Amino acid sequence: MAEAYFPVGPGLGMEENFLSLDDILMSQEKLPGRAESALPRLAVLLGQGAGSAESIPEGSKLEIPLWLAKGLHDSKRRIISVELPKIFKEAWRTVFSADANVVDLHKMGPYYYGFGSQLLNFENPENPEIAQTILQATGGGSVLPVSDSVCSLQTFIARFRRIMDSSQNAYNEDTSALVARLDELERALFQVGQKGLNDFQCWEKGQASQITASSLVQNYGKRKLTEVDG
Amino acid sequence: MEPAEVEFLAEKELVTIVPNFSLDRIHLIGGDLGPFNPGLPVEVPVWLAINLKQRQKCRLIPPEWMDVGKLEEIRDQERKEDTFTPMPSPYYMELTKLLLNYASDNIPRADEIRTLVKDTWDTRMAKLRLSADSFVRQQEVHAKLDNLTLMEINTTGTFLTQALDHMNKLRTNLQPGESSHSQDF
Repeated sequence: MAEAYFPVGPGLGMEENFLSLDDILMSQEKLPGRAESALPRLAVLLGQGAGSAESIPEGSKLEIPLWLAKGLHDSKRRIISVELPKIFKEAWRTVFSADANVVDLHKMGPYYYGFGSQLLNFENPENPEIAQTILQATGGGSVLPVSDSVCSLQTFIARFRRIMDSSQNAYNEDTSALVARLDELERALFQVGQKGLNDFQCWEKGQASQITASSLVQNYGKRKLTEVDG
Repeated sequence: MEPAEVEFLAEKELVTIVPNFSLDRIHLIGGDLGPFNPGLPVEVPVWLAINLKQRQKCRLIPPEWMDVGKLEEIRDQERKEDTFTPMPSPYYMELTKLLLNYASDNIPRADEIRTLVKDTWDTRMAKLRLSADSFVRQQEVHAKLDNLTLMEINTTGTFLTQALDHMNKLRTNLQPGESSHSQDF
């Protein structure tokens, strides 16, 4: 069944894939922000007031999902300003650059890479955290505007070896401990590595040449034939 | 692609058999084979050789490289070099598996050959992981891998290309996209 099912994968860039379920879940994650102007009659929705007429005052702190933040964010009109989540701030970036392997990206993420890439959409010069991120980059002597995705790129590279080794050496083992700390993107990658290993081992043992009934047919056979016909 | 499909391609390789029956030249869509005469060696594709062997209509002659001395040399060479060394056959793994499974009685020291080929495979896979790691670490965008066989590429290929795909996206995130200015309301 898996071969005939083509799910839309995550976009992992500045833009998400519209129909990707992973990206939809990722864009649900909350982002700290601040209202730059008063938002009338919205206090109820954001859980900051009781009456439906109450407005969100200017400058109040908000926790808004990424999709809403993207929609409201505009460098000219300044409805809201967006701050970097804690794990993309400098303190955590230092931790990542020290040893990316020790970080539990599933707890931090679970869409660490996708979310980090999406954060690049809010390159707002008024936001001191992002300004500092860009400042760090020019200090680094790089021509490219190196921002927080450098850190996710380095994280990815640093963790690549371990994902590869564990996915391709663990044969017939319980892999739940191995994948517990992986981000969703890394988990997909881990699965691909495991599939390559398992397919090869099956072939080597001669199981690939045996024709077996598909799981669909096996389940189908559990019902009586008369029931199926009727 | 699955290993079985790689094996399918490997079955097109030619091996020498000694038939114990006689048959005229046969005209197959991929080329002519035969004629088959008892006791006279003839070259046939592996799929036919295995079928005839299972029907006990031939004796199989192992390929020249399927020999303990030669394979030991190849294994030692593989361990010594940092890069991949040329393999005796582009389908060494598949041919070893097929021929040893179906015609081990025609191959001298079959067990040792199996071990040697498996050792070579393991060395090459470890090397492949090592070079994939340094490829990723140095953020290279192209590599030349002349001496890798299809089975080796196929086992880790999907993993590596997917990882590189992610890496490429994460890296191009940094470059200011031209499309970002097009939708300014």
